[in-house]
Amino acid sequence: MTPMPFMGIPPKWIIAFFGLFHTSVGSLAIGIGFIVVVAQIIGYRKRVFRYDLFAKRTQLFHVCIYNIGTINAIGLVFALSGLFPQFWVHIMNQFFWPFVIEEVLFFLLATTLTFHYFFWDKLWGHKRLHIALGILLIPFFFLQIYIINAIGGFMLTPGYQEAEATLRSGIIGYDFRALYNPSFLMLHLHRSFANVSYAGFFMAGWCGIRLYLTKIKEKKDYYEDCGRLSFNIAFAALLSLPIIGYFYSHVLKIDAPDAFWNIMLGRGDVHLGGIDTWWLKHLMVAAMLGAALGFYSRLSRSKESFSLPGFLVYGIAAFYFIFYVAMGMVMTWAFFFWTVVFAAGSLLLGRHLVSFHQGSARALFLYIGILSFCTVMLGGYVREAGRPRFVDRIAHYDDVYVPEERQQYLYLPVKPQDIPRLPAEEKEEDAAQLIQRHCSRCHGLDRLRTYARDDWDRIVRVMRIYGTRLSDREAERITAHLTAGLEY
Amino acid sequence: MDLPIIQTPLFPRYIWMEEVIYSHIPIATLITAFLVLAPFMELIGYKRRDLRWDRLARSLVFFAMILYSPGAALGTGIPIFIIGLYPEFWARWSNLFFWPLIIQFIFFTIDVIFLFFFYYLPWDRMMDRKRRHIFFGFVTAFFGLAIQAVWDALGSYTLTPGAAFPAVTEAVGWSAQAFFNPTYPFLFFHRFFGNFSYTMLLVGGVLALKYMRARVKSEKDYYGWACDVTFSFGFLSFFAMPIIGYGYAKVIQAKAPVAFHAIMGGHVSGAFTLKMVLILVFVSIAATYLFIRHKNKLPMLAAVTAGFGGLYVVLHLHPALDWLGSAVAWRTAYSLIIVGFLVYLWRMRARGRPITERRWPWLMFAAGMAAFFTFAIGGFVRERSKNPYAVYLQHEKPEAVPEERDRFLFYRVCIGCHHQNAGDLLKIRGENWRARVERERRRLGVDLTDEEAGRIIRYLEENTR
Repeated sequence: MTPMPFMGIPPKWIIAFFGLFHTSVGSLAIGIGFIVVVAQIIGYRKRVFRYDLFAKRTQLFHVCIYNIGTINAIGLVFALSGLFPQFWVHIMNQFFWPFVIEEVLFFLLATTLTFHYFFWDKLWGHKRLHIALGILLIPFFFLQIYIINAIGGFMLTPGYQEAEATLRSGIIGYDFRALYNPSFLMLHLHRSFANVSYAGFFMAGWCGIRLYLTKIKEKKDYYEDCGRLSFNIAFAALLSLPIIGYFYSHVLKIDAPDAFWNIMLGRGDVHLGGIDTWWLKHLMVAAMLGAALGFYSRLSRSKESFSLPGFLVYGIAAFYFIFYVAMGMVMTWAFFFWTVVFAAGSLLLGRHLVSFHQGSARALFLYIGILSFCTVMLGGYVREAGRPRFVDRIAHYDDVYVPEERQQYLYLPVKPQDIPRLPAEEKEEDAAQLIQRHCSRCHGLDRLRTYARDDWDRIVRVMRIYGTRLSDREAERITAHLTAGLEY
Repeated sequence: MDLPIIQTPLFPRYIWMEEVIYSHIPIATLITAFLVLAPFMELIGYKRRDLRWDRLARSLVFFAMILYSPGAALGTGIPIFIIGLYPEFWARWSNLFFWPLIIQFIFFTIDVIFLFFFYYLPWDRMMDRKRRHIFFGFVTAFFGLAIQAVWDALGSYTLTPGAAFPAVTEAVGWSAQAFFNPTYPFLFFHRFFGNFSYTMLLVGGVLALKYMRARVKSEKDYYGWACDVTFSFGFLSFFAMPIIGYGYAKVIQAKAPVAFHAIMGGHVSGAFTLKMVLILVFVSIAATYLFIRHKNKLPMLAAVTAGFGGLYVVLHLHPALDWLGSAVAWRTAYSLIIVGFLVYLWRMRARGRPITERRWPWLMFAAGMAAFFTFAIGGFVRERSKNPYAVYLQHEKPEAVPEERDRFLFYRVCIGCHHQNAGDLLKIRGENWRARVERERRRLGVDLTDEEAGRIIRYLEENTR
């Protein structure tokens, strides 16, 4: 299929618009589900009505954005169908059953969410039942993004065995190894915590805006208190992100080196408008951490609700300082230096904002809310922009879902006849060459003589578990060669 | 693209596809009808200073809000299933209609923003700015209808294309011929009035049950009024359907004769007949209700009588059915039934018992359910009659199974010349089909390849044992 022209705008930017729009709304919806449940439980346990009211209003907002997000998702599907038709039908074909399960979860979520909000008052006398209904949203959301993250992770790190398996077996609607690809777990953890953090800071930011607009004391107390509740949840989730992010990038370094180096070196679209988006995102995260710690250090001496004890605040600050020292050692000292500068500057700014508003965190809520939104957008953008391009060239990841003879027709905004032919296939290595290349990477070939000939099947399997990158076919050939006692 | 076809468990792919679509369409049509009617009701209430209309309008919008999220979630399932099960069809179809799909997305976004943030949520806050609120309601309704207009064009294309499917290497995006295809206006208006009719009859039936259960007088009064308004409106809307439906069928006959044969005596004729029976059920109940309940509103009763007159004209224009042996017997029968039913209605107006009896809420509910299933079966008939569930004669879905292809080849080749319908041919038992087909294909004008003849023989042998 030939891609659709879109008013002169490169297709990747159209998809980026739909994708980021959906991410901004979808992530918010997922995180808000968690915030609502926590607020409702606290309200019920403490018998404080304002938290229940906050949960209800937040859930109404949730219902609204949920539908906007759904419609946007449909728009994304249409845009992908028109602009990247072959890519899209291939990936849908490969992940058909996960998508179907995703759809079932989506329906269960929508129904549960609807009942939870619209029957809030009717279920007032059955509060535990109502809370249980709300709690159901969390596993539904978790499972829903579990599937989407698996597919998203696959597009970045299909892995070696997975690619091999898919090429051999054809596209079957479900592929266990493709779903559980190398970066899936890290992406899922990172997104799960990031969603809660983003939603919490967003709701705190919303409370901050309301605090600016209202003059009534009771309302001010309500927004201040509920903003702090959201802020605390968000901050707790934020703390995990740099650590998960480190492991995530470590997986990328091994399984998607092109993407990793694109991100780290600011190559291609990661470098946008003269700005390296990945570094900018990290400076924003440092600013968020710093401002939040400034807020908590300012509060630690008071007995106000949701304050943290001083030793905990300074303990967290010390931990992240050490963490970023380690990051400086792994990456560059410039990274460490600017992170500390932004964190420290933001810490001072956070303390000043709270003092300036006589203890009200309205400005701080707004400040971190904006930073949080920008961070989520930049994070999503960097991940997608870091991936080798769909449109500029045939990326090596593409061959995961497309048999080789069709690769040349993929992703390129040119007619198939204009695409240069692929270079001829390299001749297959013989088994002896395979043994020399793979085995000698970790140990000498003399060691091979110490094993019994009938034990090679087990040994080759063990070596693959240790990390030797062999396809099934290569493993079979090596095993057969060694079992036969041939020279290498 | 030669993608492998994903096999579905339990049922064939088209059954799964149908079920996913049917789960979405009743919800979507309910929402569209409610959102179109709500601002009109609100406007009437505002003009008459009658808060009951406002309450009814708000109830409809509230119910639409409850349905919106599950309906949208189910809607997303449709592209997922189509892309997975019919990947090439989807890729080429969404290529042809890329711009309408994107515009539909914009309409949808505007619709949901107006519905949530300008219409439903500020209802109480805008009680003193009613005109503006009603205006927002109309904006919501407009975009809801605009979404339906786009989808009807895309859906009707698959029955009567008007333009060919694009080639694999051709980026199209938009085709006026394809969009404004022959059955588009008929499908749109048939659905437009159909949505009003079935949803309001259904709502009237449900409100009648609420009326029966209400204990507080003010509530009972409200539900009594509301069920009457909605039920009566739903029934009056119905009378547009046979007239539009007749025109719709004529266009299908001219532009998609194979689909027409499938409905009229073909493999979906049983469902079409069941739909007619259900129409008879709710028409009988609703007409009797109106003549008793509104015995003093002569213009309304005259309108219903005129509606039956229109129905009579449609039946008269329709070719006679041979159910009763001859055309004369058929025409005599339906003339007597319609005239007799009108006499019965006018007598009920004079002598019928008041609508306070307990059975009436249940009868109204039954009529509402019959209307709902009429609607559902109508959609089923249209979809099942399509040439391998795709674009008629222009492009068969690459994913169509052999039996689907053979069935439509049989319709196209055999039914056109024979004055029998598909059902009659399939009733024949013990025929040597091979000899028969060989004989028939020697006739002048029959252009049948050996491969096609073999497929028809196979189809007939497998389906007439």
